[in-house]
Amino acid sequence: MVDLSQYLPILIFLAIALGLSAAFVFLPMGVARLTGAHNPDAEKLSEYECGFPAFEDPRSQFDVRFYLVAILFIIFDLEAAFLFPWAVSLDVTGWPGWITMMVFLGELVIGFAYAWKKGALEWE
Amino acid sequence: MIGIEHYVVVSSILFVLGVLGIFLNRKNVIVILMAIELILLAVNINLVAFSAFLGDLTGQIFAMFVLTVAAGEAAIGLAILVIYFRGRGTIAVDDVNRMKG
Amino acid sequence: MDFAASLKLIAPELLMSVSGLVLLLVSAWVGDKASRAISVAAAVVLGACFFLVAPAVCSGASGPDTLAFGGQFSADAFAGLAKLMIFAAGGAALVIAPAFFERFNAMRAEYPVLILFAVLGMSIMVSARDLITLYIGLELNSLAAYVLAAFLRTDDRSAEAGLKYFVLGALASGILLFGMSLTYGFTGTTSFEGIRVALNGEMAMGALFGLIFMLAGLAFKISAVPFHMWTPDVYEGAPTPVTAFFASAPKVAALALTMRVTLEAFGAQDDAWRQIVIFAAIASIVIGALGAIGQSNLKRLLAYSSINNVGFILIGLAAGTPAGASAMLVYLAIYVAMTVGGFVAVLMLKDENGNSVEAIADIAGLSRTRPALAFCLMLVMFSLAGIPPLFGFWGKFVVFQAAVNAGFVALAAIGIAASVIGAFYYIKVVKVMYFDEPADVVKGESDWAHWALLAISALAISPLGYLLTPWLGNLADKAAAVLFLGV
Repeated sequence: MVDLSQYLPILIFLAIALGLSAAFVFLPMGVARLTGAHNPDAEKLSEYECGFPAFEDPRSQFDVRFYLVAILFIIFDLEAAFLFPWAVSLDVTGWPGWITMMVFLGELVIGFAYAWKKGALEWE
Repeated sequence: MIGIEHYVVVSSILFVLGVLGIFLNRKNVIVILMAIELILLAVNINLVAFSAFLGDLTGQIFAMFVLTVAAGEAAIGLAILVIYFRGRGTIAVDDVNRMKG
Repeated sequence: MDFAASLKLIAPELLMSVSGLVLLLVSAWVGDKASRAISVAAAVVLGACFFLVAPAVCSGASGPDTLAFGGQFSADAFAGLAKLMIFAAGGAALVIAPAFFERFNAMRAEYPVLILFAVLGMSIMVSARDLITLYIGLELNSLAAYVLAAFLRTDDRSAEAGLKYFVLGALASGILLFGMSLTYGFTGTTSFEGIRVALNGEMAMGALFGLIFMLAGLAFKISAVPFHMWTPDVYEGAPTPVTAFFASAPKVAALALTMRVTLEAFGAQDDAWRQIVIFAAIASIVIGALGAIGQSNLKRLLAYSSINNVGFILIGLAAGTPAGASAMLVYLAIYVAMTVGGFVAVLMLKDENGNSVEAIADIAGLSRTRPALAFCLMLVMFSLAGIPPLFGFWGKFVVFQAAVNAGFVALAAIGIAASVIGAFYYIKVVKVMYFDEPADVVKGESDWAHWALLAISALAISPLGYLLTPWLGNLADKAAAVLFLGV
């Protein structure tokens, strides 16, 4: 039988997370209600959703250009993840490590130059 | 104590969910992309858990490579999907059947 | 081993990466009008790599001198022989492409660059002696291949082939990767040598699962039954030069990888994987032969024939002996020649508007309108079926011989029986070409590059190919011996 007491840390963690997030949401609302001017309109009450109307048919298409930006973003964003282990272990890997990373970054720059030249970064 | 077997069980469940997601999903190809990501995440859980359990860093390095390659794979999957959509005007899984045999 | 020595061992891979990056920039700046020049440059690079690798193959290089980067990468004779086949197939894919894509006005400068990167990935794959290296090579190859499958952007079938190849390829990578993670967890190492040492003796249940998942993923990549279902669709939908590439180079790379994983990393546990390999071999031979019946499209027919041939190659692996591994390499070399020849011949079938002709009914009576082409296609078909005077027979013969010598008489008998069934359908294609009323659909002229390539492969698979057998057998023996050093 699983000993439930071993899950106590995660329970405490969840309780704290719930408490904190509730505080983050409701505290500013309460403070704003008590201190600020209160005159809502339709625009102000609508949710913010990355430039789209918040409630519409979810099956509607959106611009394919978003995909292109997303594709480029994922790649260049995640490749940067290699920099962290490289940076903390540079004293061990030394010059070969440094050169290797510069080669890697150079390859990324070539990819970036290709994308730029092909016009993938232009919105129009 | 939460041992290595708990991690393996979780990652196996995620892996099976991912595989089922590819085969049972009849609606949208994007969901298949998500299922593939789920499979790769299951692998990453395995690698990191084993790495911590064995006290060997190789697994975590491997997980980094899996992460970045997964990003490349997702990017190419999206790109192919966009081309497919331009030609056919749909990304429903049931419509991917121009060739049969 | 220091850094500089490692770099020297990966010289072909370095050359391919650097020239691939340079050509990528050229393709962006100069544009599609440079695509022919870039194709030529990429072919020259592959040729140079061919000659960089050749000495290691001829001398049968092995041992610690061939290990780079702390044993993660091995430039030994086995990897070298596989690389020679991969470079040849990649070069063929470069040569046949421009004439095909220009018909659709779709020749873009990225094609040779993608082929170069795919070949680079495969070359890393076959040299891998570590699970991480294996994975990086495999993905570099796969990612380029997904794009190549969807290269004809305006064609629905090409996009669909790209999508199918992507989904099933990614699934295969995922399964393989899951197996690798389990293997790592239960052996504590990612290096093939370490895995071999760790598995000497009893194998943990987890490691067994790791092995099975890895074999399933690899079976996807070599399109062995029961993981073959994507093959006919992708081969039909992808542009024909790309199909020729898919059917040759990645097959060599994935099979070489399978040999390394099973014979090197899991060499101490051959009882565990042998039953799986035997099942996959018999199932591939039977399904490949039966599936070909009733196909009306030549590319689909060749797809089933490749499944069938992979089954025969796996018989050599089931033997698990140096002779078996050597037989696999010989078969692979012959298979590459047959496949390239077959797809080039299909590529040369065009109607009066220059559109591709792929239906078997449309090549009726080809022997009267295009005798040379029909003759070459006949050679390919008979060779694929393994009919004696042709070289395709030799591949099957050495594989069966290895299996019988290792004591797998029943397996060899089943293989021979199934190859007789399979032969029926190839002979039917020849009958359509030679004895039916001409359909008079095939009209267009082909350029000299196609004819040259077709002539070379026809010559290689003709009975003249037997002159090569002592030389090829010797190279394959030396290469296969590398895998059994640890025994």
